[in-house]
Amino acid sequence: MKFADFISPEAIRANLVADDKEGVIREMVQALLDAGRIEAPEIESIVKAILSREELGSTGIGRGVAVPHTKHSSVDQLVGTVGVSRDGVDFDSLDGEKVYLLFLLVSPLDRPGDHLRALENISRQLRDDRFCRFLKQAKTAEEIRQLLEEADNNQFGS
Amino acid sequence: MDQPRATRTVTVVNRSGLHLRAALAIYQLARQFQTQVEIVMDRQRAGVTEVLSITSLGAESGQELVLEASGPQAEQALDALVELFAAGFHEDDAQTGGRS
Repeated sequence: MKFADFISPEAIRANLVADDKEGVIREMVQALLDAGRIEAPEIESIVKAILSREELGSTGIGRGVAVPHTKHSSVDQLVGTVGVSRDGVDFDSLDGEKVYLLFLLVSPLDRPGDHLRALENISRQLRDDRFCRFLKQAKTAEEIRQLLEEADNNQFGS
Repeated sequence: MDQPRATRTVTVVNRSGLHLRAALAIYQLARQFQTQVEIVMDRQRAGVTEVLSITSLGAESGQELVLEASGPQAEQALDALVELFAAGFHEDDAQTGGRS
């Protein structure tokens, strides 16, 4: 699965404003709403579900990366977005470090395979230090979109 | 002197496959032992010292994997990991949001 299959370009945020965990999650879910990928009445329910998932164990998994996610009955296909925090956010990460790159995913209830393939793609690309560095340095959503496109064309990752 | 080595074959039995929470469980269990563990899937090989490495396999439910360990506690580490796989990572697959 490629980034283009699940990342909504209009929902990419190169400069997340919020400075805490709930705030950045809320900002990214709002970005999905603004991009028309989720429905307005569902926003609170989706944010709450993602925060509940975080309580089971942070999705901040090192390298300054977090993958907040949930299943949700209101989506019929996997939707996702990317956010970059300039100053980093305390995410209770595995390594105790701040998170700078966030990939937020909302999956349909009964499609674990799609979620797994998206996670596989994100993981592979993020293991490339150049990809991480370039993403963190990206100043605009358009620059991030181009990086994702380059990754989709096998210019990063293993 | 050679380090003790061990190998086991396991199957991913939980419905969600090796997603983030399962990868985290593997990572946290393996680090309790003095041993290096790698997961081999077809031609791919993932060290378990990094969660992103485990999730980069994208192993789905039903997938067979080989666990290889090398170090003083190789046998103990793999015994524990085999149990974790067999228990489906103690998941209930109940975590969802919205109306169902």
